[in-house]
Amino acid sequence: MKYQIRHTTKYAYTEPAPVCHNVVHLAPRSTAWQTCRSYRLTVVPEPAERTCRTDYFGNRVDYFTIHEAHRGLAITAVSEVDVEPRGALAAPVTTPAWNAVAAELAAGDASRDPGIAQFRFASEYVPLAEQFADYAKTSLKPDCPIVEGVADLTARIHADFRFDPKATNLSTPVREVFERRAGVCQDFAHLQLACLRSLGLAAQYVSGYLRTDPPPGKPRLVGADASHAWISVYCGAAGWIDFDPTNNVMPGVDHITVAYGRDYADICPIQGVFIGGGRHAMHVAVDVMPVE
Amino acid sequence: MMQGQQQSTGGPWTAGNGAAPAPTGSPLAAAYCPVAGAYDEAYAADGGLRPRWQQLSGLLGRFAPGEFSRRWQESQRLIRENGLAYSAFGDPQHQPRPWQLDPLPMVAPADEWQAVSAGLIQRAQLLRMVLDDLFGPQTLIRRGVLPAAALFSHPGFRRPFHRIANEGDPGFLQNYAADLSRAADGTWWVLDDRTESPSGAGFVLENRVVVSRMLPEAFRAMYVSRLAPFFISWQEQLRELARTHRDNPRIVVLSQGPHQPDFFEDAYLARYLGYTLVEGADLAVRNSRVWLKTLEGLSPVDVIVRRPNSDLCDPLELGGASPLGVPGLMQAVRCGNVVVANPLGSGLIESPLFMAFMPRLAAALLGEKLKLPGVATWWCGEEASLKHVLANLPRLRIKSAFRRRGRDTAQSHELEGLAPEQLAERIKANPAAFVGQEVVHRSTAPEWNEAGGVRPVHLVVRAFAAASGDSYTVLEGGLARTDQSTAPNADSDEPAEKSKDLWIVGHDEVEHVTLLAKRDEPIALRRAGSELPSRVADSAFWLGRQIERAEASARLLRTVALRMSSESAGQASPAMPALWRVLAEQGQIEPGFVVEGIRQRLPKLEQSLPPMVFDATQPGSLAGVVAQTFRIASQVRDRISVDSWRVIKRIQSQFERADAASADWTRVLNLSNELIIDFAAIGGMVSESMTRTQLFRFLDIGRRLERALQLATLLRCSFGGKDPVSLELFEAVLEIADSLMTYRSRYLANLQLATVLDLLLTDETNPRSIAYQLSLLEGHIAELPRDARRPRMDADQRLITSMSHVVRLLDVEAVAEAQGLGDETVLRDLLERLEAELPQLSDAIAHRFLVHAGPAIQISSIHYDG
Repeated sequence: MKYQIRHTTKYAYTEPAPVCHNVVHLAPRSTAWQTCRSYRLTVVPEPAERTCRTDYFGNRVDYFTIHEAHRGLAITAVSEVDVEPRGALAAPVTTPAWNAVAAELAAGDASRDPGIAQFRFASEYVPLAEQFADYAKTSLKPDCPIVEGVADLTARIHADFRFDPKATNLSTPVREVFERRAGVCQDFAHLQLACLRSLGLAAQYVSGYLRTDPPPGKPRLVGADASHAWISVYCGAAGWIDFDPTNNVMPGVDHITVAYGRDYADICPIQGVFIGGGRHAMHVAVDVMPVE
Repeated sequence: MMQGQQQSTGGPWTAGNGAAPAPTGSPLAAAYCPVAGAYDEAYAADGGLRPRWQQLSGLLGRFAPGEFSRRWQESQRLIRENGLAYSAFGDPQHQPRPWQLDPLPMVAPADEWQAVSAGLIQRAQLLRMVLDDLFGPQTLIRRGVLPAAALFSHPGFRRPFHRIANEGDPGFLQNYAADLSRAADGTWWVLDDRTESPSGAGFVLENRVVVSRMLPEAFRAMYVSRLAPFFISWQEQLRELARTHRDNPRIVVLSQGPHQPDFFEDAYLARYLGYTLVEGADLAVRNSRVWLKTLEGLSPVDVIVRRPNSDLCDPLELGGASPLGVPGLMQAVRCGNVVVANPLGSGLIESPLFMAFMPRLAAALLGEKLKLPGVATWWCGEEASLKHVLANLPRLRIKSAFRRRGRDTAQSHELEGLAPEQLAERIKANPAAFVGQEVVHRSTAPEWNEAGGVRPVHLVVRAFAAASGDSYTVLEGGLARTDQSTAPNADSDEPAEKSKDLWIVGHDEVEHVTLLAKRDEPIALRRAGSELPSRVADSAFWLGRQIERAEASARLLRTVALRMSSESAGQASPAMPALWRVLAEQGQIEPGFVVEGIRQRLPKLEQSLPPMVFDATQPGSLAGVVAQTFRIASQVRDRISVDSWRVIKRIQSQFERADAASADWTRVLNLSNELIIDFAAIGGMVSESMTRTQLFRFLDIGRRLERALQLATLLRCSFGGKDPVSLELFEAVLEIADSLMTYRSRYLANLQLATVLDLLLTDETNPRSIAYQLSLLEGHIAELPRDARRPRMDADQRLITSMSHVVRLLDVEAVAEAQGLGDETVLRDLLERLEAELPQLSDAIAHRFLVHAGPAIQISSIHYDG
């Protein structure tokens, strides 16, 4: 699939701000199955300075600053992305037992590979706890093939938790999401990460987009028209495999990957600091159009 | 002096006092009761003094009895006057704790210190290699030397710090300190490594100044190593770090600000090393460069000596709306345009967790054994260590494995309070979060007491190292911190009871080095100091205003108190209604007190005002105004003279001691009399001793502006109404405005409105008149930096010109005549106009020159809808 993605974020301040600094994670990544053909970031007012670099996780980060008094800010990222179907998956039953993967992560080669091992621990939004491990163990029984187990966990989160944008906000801890049994894609991703990492598995947070209009005859997915989030699990010899607990699917050509991190805090789409400016309001619009 | 030195060369260490009479004044000759089981620094196991302490005792023994004590009294004055304080000053909640110094130095022979130094250098090099690796290629994880959990579950491993040190930088650790302790067998152990931004070096300098001045004979005769070479090496290192302006880089000390415990030291070090002391708000990032905001504009910064913890330094990438931070700093560092020392993230490795791995790291990276061992530590994240810790809980000290500087102290206290079973539960729930440490029985050293005797105190020495090329220079001295507690291994983060100067004593003449320029090196003439940060100018401006406001309050109170405490007039004085009005305008009393009718229902002012004067919780009270003055003064403490600071401290202390409830008019009178003299002293020092730089200018603008404003209010409240003015009121107003003598010398006792107004309003020769203040303001404003190409006047220029104009053109006789005919509006309108325009002028100046920035605000994050 070829997509054109347009992601606009607008801020309006009550008073003029003389300075603002921003760091954004908005550029889609190129992966084995995804090619980012173009990416353009437009900022109004025009920044005095802009640069980009690659962050610790291999994501592109754009940095820009504005040094003139401004009452609002509009950040628009326009990208063209080709998404191929991911390689044929091994049959879930043939994947390694989850506890064998956990053992490898504890003491095997994976434990010494920073690119894998770092996703095994607690992070800002993902605490480790017995209750998350217990919830996960219903799906990941001893010697259960990892993909089968995680797919079951994904289905259970989808079934047990209600999608409700009013139930949580960004500062709602995963423990509360777990108690309330409700939240949005971010919450479900963080929850599933907490479950898997509490079992000693390594799992990453993925931010990205969903295609806005479903293919004919298919239902519209939850989370279109906005940034979306799901997870990727280390499955030993089977590599990293993605799961979307919000829609209970394994991401394919409808999911466009932007960035990988331990959780939201690592790859927050827009981080900014301004001096002055009073209070501010924000508006986000995402449009994911299949091309041709 | 030279003789003394020569006498003690050569011979055995006791030779210096060989010919002298029996020791009389040496505190070390007094009875001493060593602590069983601890190594004593001064006394050997047989009870005799160790050789170099014997020498010290001999030198002190030349003192007459009581001489040591007398000199110590003198020195304590020096400490007080320097305002040496450990905790934050200026914070009304926390009284500064004066720095506690023991006059008896800790003595360590140079050869012994050499061994310690070698161990410190090895540790610093090793820690630097570990930091470079963990924030770089992470081969230690790949090789399995460090378990992944040690790094990846460490909250100090913030991803943006990765590779933040630039290629070609000398590495991740410019400044290192270690807390050392000596076990019962006399070997030195490292209790803690300090890599974030080691503090204490400033206190070492200060201790040295005090003790070497108190005991100059012993200091010289014992060949005490100098501290300066270390600081010179530090300076050179910082200069070499600069990537730009290499011939003359701008180096700043980024401080945590006056409300943080380390501020005194930050200010002291900055002054000693000759760098500009800045706070986060003084710096701005533009075009990936760091700039210092000065009155003249932005000035580039090349090297930042970082004092706050790393994660407070850039709210953009590290979060937190910390006022200590500089948004965009990490970007500037990544671009190589500024160097931060120590680099952001360096504190990672001071967590106790790494102590457990030091022997393994030394073997893996250096192929060596540690020369200076760390306290034996077991990280519970490893199976075998966990077992060992659980089996030996009672004799181990349990700490948070990931503890970082200035954090988790509450948790360590909590851990100490737990019973072994509870502790075991806590550890088992999350083993990787804990370490168990062997306890080192700290050595003891004699501490002098007021009675002239000595007693043993436990001791931890903080030693310092600064990078110097590939190696490190170790400070030949240190901060010996002592306490009485019997706890064998007190937490080295806790403030100790006292400190000692550490004397590293050698056998040879010590070369004299100084940070000051050599005498024969020509120094370029300069009339102004370095550029003034806008924030400092801002504080100076408000300090000027506040001093004047406090003085005006004190003067008014004195005049009121004089009338209230004298038998004759009292409440009946016809001047009182106007004076109550001025008190209400100043906020010293509630406005209701001057409204007839309401007043009857309020408690009698005669009784209630004196206690209010001492109530610092009322912002308008004299105590409140003084507290605010003190707070602002403490922010520019490093910029004002020692004497001015001393007076400001004295004023503040008048209120600390006061018992508000029992205050009466006599006390108010005495207090206001004293304050007026103290404020006069400050005014005198400012005008006689401050060079006419921008700092002086902003202080004086603040004073003149406030004085004019206070006068305008006084005149309006007194003469702006319809009531005829009583002679008593004329007299009171002249008294408050400090112009009664001048008036009498001109007009004798003939009090009239026109003449009083001329003296206080339009006479440019009276330093207490409004016209005089406006004229000085006009002069100052003309000298402020501004863009000469702009064709029209700025707001501040317009305001001062218009005010000066209207006051100069005023015909006081015509005003008095109108007043006599019942038209008070001419005078009142003028005064009200001044009262409105002076604050506008204040805003215009602040806006144009001072307030460059507000706090940084984080934009709200996005909550995904998906």
